[in-house]
Amino acid sequence: MMKNIRFSRKQLCIPYALFLICFVVLPLAVIVYYAFSDGSGRFTLANLLNFFTNGNTIGTLCYSLVIAAVVTLVCLLVAYPVAYVLARSSLKRGPVILMLFILPMWINFTLRVTALKEILTVLEGNLSLHPFLNTVIAMTYDYLPFMILPLYTTLLQLDESLLEAAADLGAGPAAVFSRVTLPLSMPGIISGITMTFLPAMTNYVILDMIYNSTYIMGSLIGSYFNIYDWNNGSMISLILFGVICIVTLITGRGDQNNAENRGAIL
Amino acid sequence: MTAEKKTEKDFLGRGSRGHRKTLLSARAAGMLAAVLALAAVPVPAVCSGNMALTASAASGSEVVQTSSGTADKTKASDGGAGSGQASAGTEKVTLRIANWEEYIDEGDWDEEEAIDLDDENSTVILGENSMIEDFENWYLENYGVEVNVEYSTFGSNEDLYNQLTLGNDFDLVCPSEYMFMKLIAENRLQPLSDSFFDEDTEFNYYVRGVSDYIRNIYDSNTINGEPWSRYAAGYMWGTTGIVYNPEEISEEEASHWAILADPKYKGQVTIKDNVRDSYFAALGILNEEELLDPEILNAQDRLERITETMNRTDEETVAAAEEILKQMKENAYSFESDSGKADMVTGKVLANYQWSGDAVYTLDQAEIDDYYLAYAVPEESTNIWFDGWVMLKDGIAGDAAKQQAAEAFINFMSRPDNVVRNMYYIGYTSVIAGGDSDIIYAYADWCYGAEEDAEDTIEYPVGFFFSGDNTDSDYVITAEADQVNRQLFAQYPPQDVLERAVVMQYFDQENNQRINQMWVNVRCFNLASLSWQDWAKIGAGVVVVLAAVVLFLKRDDILRKR
Repeated sequence: MMKNIRFSRKQLCIPYALFLICFVVLPLAVIVYYAFSDGSGRFTLANLLNFFTNGNTIGTLCYSLVIAAVVTLVCLLVAYPVAYVLARSSLKRGPVILMLFILPMWINFTLRVTALKEILTVLEGNLSLHPFLNTVIAMTYDYLPFMILPLYTTLLQLDESLLEAAADLGAGPAAVFSRVTLPLSMPGIISGITMTFLPAMTNYVILDMIYNSTYIMGSLIGSYFNIYDWNNGSMISLILFGVICIVTLITGRGDQNNAENRGAIL
Repeated sequence: MTAEKKTEKDFLGRGSRGHRKTLLSARAAGMLAAVLALAAVPVPAVCSGNMALTASAASGSEVVQTSSGTADKTKASDGGAGSGQASAGTEKVTLRIANWEEYIDEGDWDEEEAIDLDDENSTVILGENSMIEDFENWYLENYGVEVNVEYSTFGSNEDLYNQLTLGNDFDLVCPSEYMFMKLIAENRLQPLSDSFFDEDTEFNYYVRGVSDYIRNIYDSNTINGEPWSRYAAGYMWGTTGIVYNPEEISEEEASHWAILADPKYKGQVTIKDNVRDSYFAALGILNEEELLDPEILNAQDRLERITETMNRTDEETVAAAEEILKQMKENAYSFESDSGKADMVTGKVLANYQWSGDAVYTLDQAEIDDYYLAYAVPEESTNIWFDGWVMLKDGIAGDAAKQQAAEAFINFMSRPDNVVRNMYYIGYTSVIAGGDSDIIYAYADWCYGAEEDAEDTIEYPVGFFFSGDNTDSDYVITAEADQVNRQLFAQYPPQDVLERAVVMQYFDQENNQRINQMWVNVRCFNLASLSWQDWAKIGAGVVVVLAAVVLFLKRDDILRKR
């Protein structure tokens, strides 16, 4: 009987493959089609040229990248010490404190940003005076848990004896940190960066809610679809997709290198 | 109108009605508590029950009490009242309707919310069931055909258009005038049938009830030589203007589009996050001198001339508007599509670019907290807008039974008691004046008529809308004096406002592209706008990051040296 209901590996993958085809591959194909055609369906490269010859789209790309980079950097600088303390110190209540950092994730982010908006209004008086700063604060607030969690997990797995060995061999605390802890926590840093940087580039809802009236990539794409210009909208989506692929590749390579490093150390 | 009624209405806030969800989320934000916000999310209740009208009902209305639910088909077709219209067989009809969110009475009113109009027939209006359910019952009863309404909503005209482009999803939709103009131009709409315009047919509430003022606009505006009214039946209408706090901003200041770009109110005004409304405001600022030129103000053909001015889309105008919009962007608190009302009510901003219906809502909400705002319509010009019902050619597809149901739906929505229910629930102004029924005027009077003992009152004529003659003494509301720039003014603008109320045409392909490109230019970050100080800051940031990276890579050397 048991034999009859066994599935091969291939069969087990079918549901996911179907999902992938329906909701990833096909839509992507449609986007590619629109990106390289004009209103009447003829092949054209005009949309691509449009993107790179237009100061607006380039400016928006830069603006998005800068926001994403600043948010990621701030998240990293805030999250690393926290994760380090939580993971390395012998705090009895470590997991509880960690929970406190993760807790906001249980609440829908629009509610969180709405609340944050009120706090910022109290602090700044008028939200419209510092749109960039507010965006960075709101996004940092939103993505911090995504940075803390991977860092915490990696730091928790760090073998205490490695640190002791380094200290025994004469390394000062700074050297122990920079030559053992930091390299070994690289996988956590990289997955943290991936999880913050990519959504930060496109999450225009936060910008809208916090009254930053400058477009980022997400809102720029939306604006083209709003005016029924699906071709240019698709092209910008495709370019954004390309940018994301590049970022993932770079971080992925870093991850691999690091895996080798770790092997060398161990 | 008695004191109890007024308080009741104010408290329930249904005066504005429709936008309850927005209101709640705005309040919750004020409380800073996500938990409270969660608790405040309203649970839409579906109620079943009987017809809305409780008392002796609208004059000439054939209110029928039906038991809700499924009457079997044979019985239904037998029992069909003599409507005089050909019943299109006993097949069940499916009618797919798309309307704006929160733009129809969803029923479920509390008993205390019943509107006691106190007119001759002592009409009491109460929304018990949703309008859709009531329509299904009414249609079955009077046409003997079972109709199943699939009701969906959309958030913007553009969303609707995209959906229409993607597939044949709807039979009857309610876009704004520029969108149905576009749809007419693209030959995608089904003309209304001749029988729809027959005033002698009992159920033709629309053609009998629509205000002459609105009828005239629908007849005189044309697309490719065809009047709007061939395809579209009006639903709601209004103007655009400025909601402002009269303690901080004078009426004079609020009555010019220039306030939206005035550095004096930097960070204190909101503008609309859509290109048409913002472009209109920019044109108002750009052409201020011309529009206020005494020669034009006193011209016989003033409306035609300012309509021409406010519909300019040539390159030069668009380029100039772009500069003004950039100033507005710098100056504004936010570009908003929904949040502006809450920001106005909570006092975060002093002035707010609004559609009249939302202005009424904002004023009502503020009033609950004893905060009194006002509404002004710029002296230069205002954009008069309409939402109207249109049938889609693809959807109806020649199906006479379906078309009959669609037109019956429009008529049902135009039945005076239903008009009042919708107006009460959503807060906008219907295009229906009532025809031979006085219910709608009675409702306006119920809303805005002053107490008998009120001291400071004014006589506010609304005849232009109800009878086509503004001097008609039958249609003068005795209102409290401040209503002259508050809700009454927003819902039924006086004649001088209508003399500068311009219909904004839809943009054709070429103009659309140009104006949208202009909008993208305004909203996008432009590298050229950075000053050298900004570049210096960016440079410094990059240097710091690079230094950190170098330090990290060279850490071994550095540490060894130590």
